[in-house]
Amino acid sequence: MSGAENPLPHDPADALAAVAALRRLADQLEDAAVEQAMRAGWSWPQVSEALGVTRQAVHKKHAKRLIAAGVQLRRRGNERV
Amino acid sequence: MSAFDRYLHAVLVRATHEAHEDGSATTDAHHLLLSLAADQGSTAQRVLAAAGLDRAAVRAALDREFEHSLSVVGVSAAAYDLPRPSRGDRQPKLGASARLALERSFATARKKDLRSSHLLLGVLEAQVGTVPRALALAGIDRAELADRVRQALDSPDQ
Repeated sequence: MSGAENPLPHDPADALAAVAALRRLADQLEDAAVEQAMRAGWSWPQVSEALGVTRQAVHKKHAKRLIAAGVQLRRRGNERV
Repeated sequence: MSAFDRYLHAVLVRATHEAHEDGSATTDAHHLLLSLAADQGSTAQRVLAAAGLDRAAVRAALDREFEHSLSVVGVSAAAYDLPRPSRGDRQPKLGASARLALERSFATARKKDLRSSHLLLGVLEAQVGTVPRALALAGIDRAELADRVRQALDSPDQ
């Protein structure tokens, strides 16, 4: 009866909880992955294109946090436009 | 500011801190539960502790619910070995589940009669979501726990 044996959970509560948990996991992964990329010298446009979101969105969500963490961010002039 | 207002404020501050530590953009009902379990000396905390739910136990139950809910769709959070991200100074906002828990709390009593137990009841009354799932996985009978909270409310020392 375990839902783990089936790719589609039968119980709506399990399916909905999986959605909520995946969103949380995705948020956690995004925080870690964006920081990892920026520390590796990626630019905002590269990160935003890789994530499939606008540069404004990724900047708004992460810039303050990364600056506070002392991550060396690439200057605007070095970015692809 | 009443004693309850001060208590509520402290609970919310601690819950927001828990959300921030979680890297969550919102303070959710399960962060309220962590906060209530961590508060020393309140009736809510005593009832939770008597059921074996100190803050660490609540945290463990929530982590287990997270792993379990992911496993249902074949995902394991442990499979990702990314470094822990830096936390910014952005304050989490009150999320929908926490709002519902507070609304349920405030609906249970007149404002001047509100106690820590009402906050806990508001969290425990959720029928679906992270908190009931985590408690069920931890082997806690949520209805029985809620009854104990109500009994504590009726006892004369309240």
